[in-house]
Amino acid sequence: MSEFLRILEDEVQIVALLFMATVYTIRLIWMFRFKAGKEVTEPVGSPRVGVAYSMMNVAMPWAMESARKNLSFYVQFVIFHLGVLMAITATLILPYWPEFFESEPIVRIFQLFMGAAFAVGLIRLIRRITSPVMRLISTPDDYFSVALLTAWFAAGVFAMPNQYEVSEWPLILFFGMTTLFLIYVPFSKISHYLYYPFTRYFLGKTMGHRGVFPRKKGGEKPAGLE
Amino acid sequence: MSDKTINISDVVNLPLDLKEQKKALEQKSTAVLEGKVKVYDPNKDNVKNLLEMLKNRLSRQIVSSLVGCVHCGMCSDSCHYALARPHDPTMTPAYKADQIRQIFKRYIDWTGRIFPWWVHAKTPKNDEDLNRLKNIVFGTCSGCRRCTLNCPMGVDTATLVRLTRGLLTELGIVPEGVFVVDKDSWETGNQMGVSQEDYLETLEWQQEEVQAELDDPNFKISIDKEDCDFMYTVNPREIKYDPRSIGYACKIFHIAGESWTMPSFGWDQTNFGLFSGDDKLGGYIAKNLYEAAKRLRAKRIVISECGHGYRSTRWEGYNWAKYKQDIPSESVLITLIRYINQGLIKVDPSRNPLPITYHDSCNLARSGDITEEPRWILERICTDFREMYPNRSDNFCCTGGGGALSMVEYKPLRMEVAKIKADQLKATGAKLVCTSCHNCVDGLSDLIKHYKLDMQVVQILDLVAEALVIPEKDEKK
Ligand code: SF4
Ligand code: SF4
Repeated sequence: MSEFLRILEDEVQIVALLFMATVYTIRLIWMFRFKAGKEVTEPVGSPRVGVAYSMMNVAMPWAMESARKNLSFYVQFVIFHLGVLMAITATLILPYWPEFFESEPIVRIFQLFMGAAFAVGLIRLIRRITSPVMRLISTPDDYFSVALLTAWFAAGVFAMPNQYEVSEWPLILFFGMTTLFLIYVPFSKISHYLYYPFTRYFLGKTMGHRGVFPRKKGGEKPAGLE
Repeated sequence: MSDKTINISDVVNLPLDLKEQKKALEQKSTAVLEGKVKVYDPNKDNVKNLLEMLKNRLSRQIVSSLVGCVHCGMCSDSCHYALARPHDPTMTPAYKADQIRQIFKRYIDWTGRIFPWWVHAKTPKNDEDLNRLKNIVFGTCSGCRRCTLNCPMGVDTATLVRLTRGLLTELGIVPEGVFVVDKDSWETGNQMGVSQEDYLETLEWQQEEVQAELDDPNFKISIDKEDCDFMYTVNPREIKYDPRSIGYACKIFHIAGESWTMPSFGWDQTNFGLFSGDDKLGGYIAKNLYEAAKRLRAKRIVISECGHGYRSTRWEGYNWAKYKQDIPSESVLITLIRYINQGLIKVDPSRNPLPITYHDSCNLARSGDITEEPRWILERICTDFREMYPNRSDNFCCTGGGGALSMVEYKPLRMEVAKIKADQLKATGAKLVCTSCHNCVDGLSDLIKHYKLDMQVVQILDLVAEALVIPEKDEKK
């Protein structure tokens, strides 16, 4: 392995990661400087249960009509995010535990997930370009973020065998993109995973307090029967 | 009924109408003179003022909704405006929320301040832009929160719309109807400008009606009686257009042997602050009511049938007024359940034989906790109850929410998007649609007329009153 690739996989990634962590820390401090809305009413339900329900929403496609009615979109969402998880895992394993990728089935599993995520990325990009609704609400950041991730998945598929002795280019491309990614992400909509716990927490707390979450399906005991 | 589709630019470019504002100035409206209700001033730097106010009103919850949207478009299928107008992408909830999000990004957030074009960050250029913003947030959203509950990120679009409405209200850039109702609320303590005299006379009239019906001269609607079990609060629409509902409620309380009173002031459980986004007004109206209950040493506050009234009085009002809840409050539906369950009143479901469906008010189901209560009652007071689909917190808005009924300029669009609700109602095959909200009664009645549906709107109290077995009277029969 060339010294360039070694530094790119190791020191450069650490610096980029530290950069991302620093920006995120500042971002969270910035967010917490806004006042917190206070609830002064007597609760009907449990804010804690509401928060748990709200957080678990992502794993309950049946609980939300938008997911229930667009199951294929939900499946795409799962594949895409599993691809992200596999790609991030790969960037952490490749430099420090390269033997892990000596097993062909493991390489194939990673390639499968990233390949599928790449396909979903393309579908999402096409949807964003062709749907009038998506075009209207999309910003250059939205297009760039999906395109960047999609390209990153493709780079990941080629980098996975970790055969730097054959060619270093797939790995240089994958880690080069990872670096760009880590630096760009805090300023882009990809940061939504940082906000997700907060938006869902706030919504869950209010809705749990008021007894709206968990959402009622019928058969629950009405108030007044005490 | 026409299939014509509204040209959305006609709605978005509706001019700012100032007739009512001018009239209020001429008449030296106290609310205007005291600065409680703002009038539009073209000489002021309204854009700058809006930006400053935005900065001051941001809370952590709001900021998380502003930064949390990933523009996935999942919310577009949940909004009745977007579903009824699939050809019009501007109806998508994220687009509506983006109107304030863009301003936030340009003025407060990071990336948008440095590379505005990259994230579509921009500030309004002039008052015309603010007027367009007014038409979007007041005219194309009923604040029903259906998109909120369908957003995978938990972005509260309805709250962002309300925030924007509140900023524009402070600048006097509001629909005429909103201005008038805000002004009336400040000046009379209720949103329909009902005078105390009219209020008391209406209660007296209802007292006489019930006395005659029960043949009981001792029946009384007591005003400002201290130490009662509860204080009953109503919607001014009941005083003005539907006083029977007060008579029904009071008759039921009487038969149940309840001790209750109504306040002479602080009786309006509705709150236009919810719709205009004016927390100060919201706090003022709610506090009047809480203080009345305290003054009368009532043990409970009972809220008559109204979605936004319940939401405002039970939930938001305490927060707006920063008033620690010291007296429990409940919807009259819960009071009715108690009476039926404890046998304090008897009901005969065969008196309501027509097929009935139930419409969940957005504010009761998505911003309150009331979904099973009306159904429990309906199952006991009618013989043919049929669910509407979707229902409970998935139900569609009556299309009259968010103060839409007071904004006549947007009615054609409201009627167009009401098609979603009309189809939903029709599919039930019911002859009566029951709701527990005076606002929904008007919203549903409008669309039933527009779409020529063979249906009537009723409320739970109407049906309970119909099913009510009045002991002596029924024995005599
Ligand atoms: S508001 Fe929610 S559902 Fe709508 S586009 Fe934004 S993230 Fe997606
Ligand atoms: S709150 Fe209701 S009306 Fe407003 S955008 Fe969301 S779904 Fe549409």
